[in-house]
Amino acid sequence: MVASILVFLFGGITMLLSLQLPLGTLRMPGSGLFPLGLGLILMGLAACQILQPRLRAAASAKSGGGGGTADGSAHRVLVFLGIMALATALLDLLGFPLVAFLLMLALLQLLGARRWRDSALIALLTAGASYILFVRWLQIPLPKGWIGL
Amino acid sequence: MDVLGSFQHLLTGFGVATTLENLSYCLIGAIVGTLVGVLPGLGPIAGIALLIPATFGLNATSAIIMLAGIYYGAMYGGSTTSILINVPGETASVMTCIDGYQMAKQGRAGPALAICAIGSFVAGSLAILGLAFLAPPLAEAALAFGPPEFFALMVFGFVVLSNVTGGSLLKALMMAVVGLIIGTIGMDPVTGNPRFTFGTVSLLGGIEFVAVAIGLFGIGEVLVNVEQSAEVMEQRVLVPRFRDLYPTLQDLKQSLGAILRGTGIGFGVGLVPGPAPVIATYASYMVEKRISKHPERFGHGAIEGVAGPESANNSACQAAFIPLFVLGIPFAPPTAILLGALLIHGINPGPTMISEHPDLFWGVVASMYIGNFVLLLLNLPFVPLFANILRIPKKVLLPLVMLFCFTGMYSVNNFIVDLWVMLGCGALGYLMRKWAYEGAPLLLALILGPKMEVAFRQSLMISHGGFAIFLARPVSLVFLLGTLMFLLMPLIKGALRSFSRRATAKA
Repeated sequence: MVASILVFLFGGITMLLSLQLPLGTLRMPGSGLFPLGLGLILMGLAACQILQPRLRAAASAKSGGGGGTADGSAHRVLVFLGIMALATALLDLLGFPLVAFLLMLALLQLLGARRWRDSALIALLTAGASYILFVRWLQIPLPKGWIGL
Repeated sequence: MDVLGSFQHLLTGFGVATTLENLSYCLIGAIVGTLVGVLPGLGPIAGIALLIPATFGLNATSAIIMLAGIYYGAMYGGSTTSILINVPGETASVMTCIDGYQMAKQGRAGPALAICAIGSFVAGSLAILGLAFLAPPLAEAALAFGPPEFFALMVFGFVVLSNVTGGSLLKALMMAVVGLIIGTIGMDPVTGNPRFTFGTVSLLGGIEFVAVAIGLFGIGEVLVNVEQSAEVMEQRVLVPRFRDLYPTLQDLKQSLGAILRGTGIGFGVGLVPGPAPVIATYASYMVEKRISKHPERFGHGAIEGVAGPESANNSACQAAFIPLFVLGIPFAPPTAILLGALLIHGINPGPTMISEHPDLFWGVVASMYIGNFVLLLLNLPFVPLFANILRIPKKVLLPLVMLFCFTGMYSVNNFIVDLWVMLGCGALGYLMRKWAYEGAPLLLALILGPKMEVAFRQSLMISHGGFAIFLARPVSLVFLLGTLMFLLMPLIKGALRSFSRRATAKA
């Protein structure tokens, strides 16, 4: 139900934004016509989904509790995403090798690695290997950051 | 183009594919694909998307040879986990679990894996011949397609894909429209005006499809796995010992018919829109069970139950290249990613591609043949080696996959904004799994969106604003009638079901 409402709103916003673009005519369609039609179709489909009582029941059964968090650890997913977001935000500042090391270390600890020493070793090895693969071998200009590597 | 002409071109293709450079890329693609297939959680879609940046320095032919290798390599690799640990490496291997795992429990993992490799090789090779000889005449026929036909075909493709993804048709259609809307971000493909960019230069080129693919299919899957308990994270997979690796003559005899039937089913299904390998494996399994003299063996380690579906999935995977190369319209997400890769390399697939880029088309076709041979050699003796990857615990594997997604994504354009899009799509992919929404229609629509809009607007311009053009052209009309049929199918099915229920209640 929540998802259908979000999709309905997304369709509505698309329509509003499309109206600010030149619509043209059917003979010579402008930039806004196609997305305007798509927004309208999306709102219609989402409305059907919301209004269909049988589907609504199935959807609420699926989204409520039936999603299957194994041990109520949906918060771990949020922390996991938070770590990824932090790594993205710090990539330019700290540089790829350091961010790769810290990212691996944090994720390994989050997912239940027992000892810091083991995690640090795995993080160091994987960050080093990815640095050699991407930066040295494939010559991809990844951010150097303040360590300058 | 006649058969002899196709044969000559195929020979030229072998000349292209057997250069040392292309052979190496074919080998890399096949190995990486097998790994991608073996690793649960990293399917061919995310696998191909991740490797696209690695092809930037290559010419288009070598790039597509490598990326296509990942696709069909993943089909081979997916069977390994299905048989050994009853976990399909990718969705097309689900049917292989049923009898493959039973065979493994009986100590016959070796023959099961070997028959997978042999069946996949035979099916892949035959399907490639089909691709080589069917694609050129189909391309000539497709030259008659104008914008209305292409538009109607794409609408048909989305509706069929939405119908066969397994979940709710309405939800799948919603995701296809969301994908089309996301595809309108960036420059208007007709006028060049910026659209929904909010003044940001980095959005002018549109939303990077690689970021969406990795987010929805790679990170979304990892996030679902992250929810699992600490015990699951710690678990190491117990890979059964291999008593013998090679199938007996009796195994081969029993499998031959299943392999050939699976090849035919897979090829036919691969030509139509939808997740072809998944449908093909299911259809093949059902056919084998139905025609078997001992259907009770199925589910208890029948080798035909492994040979048929595995052949069907490889054959479907090769046949799926026909709509991609001939029409420029992929019918499934992995080929949609390949379309994106072709566009990045400056190749616009369509009816004229075979004549304009014969080296690429025939080189890729020939490389698939070589790739299948490489995979046969690789899979038979090295299966135990690949199986060892499964011994890495998830708590180490998941961060590794994330690091690879993170680095691979940044490498595409060197834009931080792509990483944010990838993370956003990862969260979206996770929620979509929770709410039972399909990601495949969204991704396909995102990639095909600009093409569809151009075809739609050109059709209106040709007809001076009349929608009747879509009904006036016979090919377009057929596709639209087909679309209507697929849209009404759930309603008809529901009505028939309630009618039969009422009839039973009365009786």
